[in-house]
Amino acid sequence: MIRETRVMLEHAADAAQKTLAGYRKHGGYQALAKALREMKPEDVTEEVLKSGLRGRGGAGFPTGRKWKFVPKTNKKKYIAVNADESEPGTCKDRQIMENDPHQLVEGTLLAAYAIGAGTAYIYVRGEYPHSIRALEDALDEAREAGLVGKDIMGSGFSCDVWVHPGAGAYICGEETALLTSLEGNRGYPRLRPPFPAVEGLWKSPTVVNNVETLACVTHIIRRGASWFSSLGCEGSTGTRLFCISGHVKNPGVYELECGKFTLRELLMDLGGGTPSGRAIKGVLPGGSSMPVFVAADLDVRFDLDSVAKAGSSLGSGAIMVFDESVSAVDVALNISEFYSHESCGQCTPCREGSDWVRLMLDSVRRQEATRSDVGLLLDVLDRIEGNTICALAEAFCWPVRSFVKKFGSEFEAHLKERATA
Amino acid sequence: MADFSPELVKKVKDLWKRYPEKKAALLPAMHLIQQERGGWFSAETIRDTADLFEVPDIHVQGIVGFYDMFHSEPVGRHVVRLCKTLSCKLRGADELRAHIRDAYGVDHGQTTADGAFTFRCFECLGHCTTAPMMLVDEERHENLTVERVDRVLRALR
Repeated sequence: MIRETRVMLEHAADAAQKTLAGYRKHGGYQALAKALREMKPEDVTEEVLKSGLRGRGGAGFPTGRKWKFVPKTNKKKYIAVNADESEPGTCKDRQIMENDPHQLVEGTLLAAYAIGAGTAYIYVRGEYPHSIRALEDALDEAREAGLVGKDIMGSGFSCDVWVHPGAGAYICGEETALLTSLEGNRGYPRLRPPFPAVEGLWKSPTVVNNVETLACVTHIIRRGASWFSSLGCEGSTGTRLFCISGHVKNPGVYELECGKFTLRELLMDLGGGTPSGRAIKGVLPGGSSMPVFVAADLDVRFDLDSVAKAGSSLGSGAIMVFDESVSAVDVALNISEFYSHESCGQCTPCREGSDWVRLMLDSVRRQEATRSDVGLLLDVLDRIEGNTICALAEAFCWPVRSFVKKFGSEFEAHLKERATA
Repeated sequence: MADFSPELVKKVKDLWKRYPEKKAALLPAMHLIQQERGGWFSAETIRDTADLFEVPDIHVQGIVGFYDMFHSEPVGRHVVRLCKTLSCKLRGADELRAHIRDAYGVDHGQTTADGAFTFRCFECLGHCTTAPMMLVDEERHENLTVERVDRVLRALR
């Protein structure tokens, strides 16, 4: 039986945890006090590097290494917290922001101290009014107590932290689009290099980190890198939040140590299997932008590297399950609708291609596509991928290609030739 | 300042202090402006916003068009956003949409005849483990059934 290891969500059910007093009762702001009194900024970065922490937004990049890219200059530096949680299936950062917001504030301040940032913005998607309110209340309290703002805890370190609401655009979760949006524009991604750590907000060095990533930082500094890396497995240290949704008996957000279970065990033990008792037909293991797994793939060990080796990704920790009653073509179409709506429109292959893909999948659904149309669909995917500024193109090319490949006979059965035969 | 209420102008000025340039406060400010101006951006509101922020009208227009939470047409007294993305679809969002169309006469983007609410199908609203869900203004309703949808929507009339 898989058991949860609750670190970030340990006190999430305690209503008082939202308040400064409640958070302090459980050791809150001890990590910040320790960092400011006993550690140099570079010690904080070293500790995070040593912990093996990898980003929880989707790409899994080592957090300490990202911080090290920040050049040593006298320029202003910024932290931008990515709280734009928009990947379909993902609702984990919300648990931290709504139930334990100070944990994020503390992690943000630690990151700011490490890189020498004097201002941090928490970019929260506009559709999360509860998260926005909880964070604003927490920040008001923290400011009042001298934990945010000038000369924090009398250390001489100063950092402002502000909540910045988005207004409904998936692309703003892409880190460079988030920065463009924060500057008061349409959320258009930027070409890299330069990377944000070198040239981000207002051309200043900016570290963009996900909410869960920064919550982990709080615990790493409080309890030490070796404690953190003793959890989980090599390559996936610490605990991770997984959102299990779709056709499972017990949908929910679970905090788990990676590497200790397979995907099948996770879906059966914690997910409880399908409510209908029907077999699982497919699983998107890391948000809708990742290749799909079918029933035969479910025995993969569930950690970053094992899932990558099996051809998909842990992505943002969103596991979406569908049973045998669902048409794979319908699922692929729903995914393509999402991305064609959310393409920012900047690059032609993505703007036009996402619509073509959606329309072609819809013609398959209506049994109006021919075999050569499916060939054309795959050809179009090849021409989109790799030819755009950001990864939104890959985010629909990967799952759609995987659906055509893994559910080939179902696509075949939808063809016009078959339908009219 | 362009006929915005003094309270709103004060709030916007407070927002400006958080950023090195005024323009960066556009998104947070535009949420407040939309609320004060009846829930949408008319050509006049776009002009007033642009004047307040000293940016071209087209810049504000571009933002209204880009972000789904800003409206370029009048809306009802409430805005109902039903999530249509995969986890909600698997848990019955399509059926709820069909029910709302049949029982209230509105589909995506439309406002009920009595002006009670504007109905929009939204992409993932981030409540996948309590699907299907909808937001009514800033209030969320999860684990929806046809009966629950009716209870919530009837109360808006």
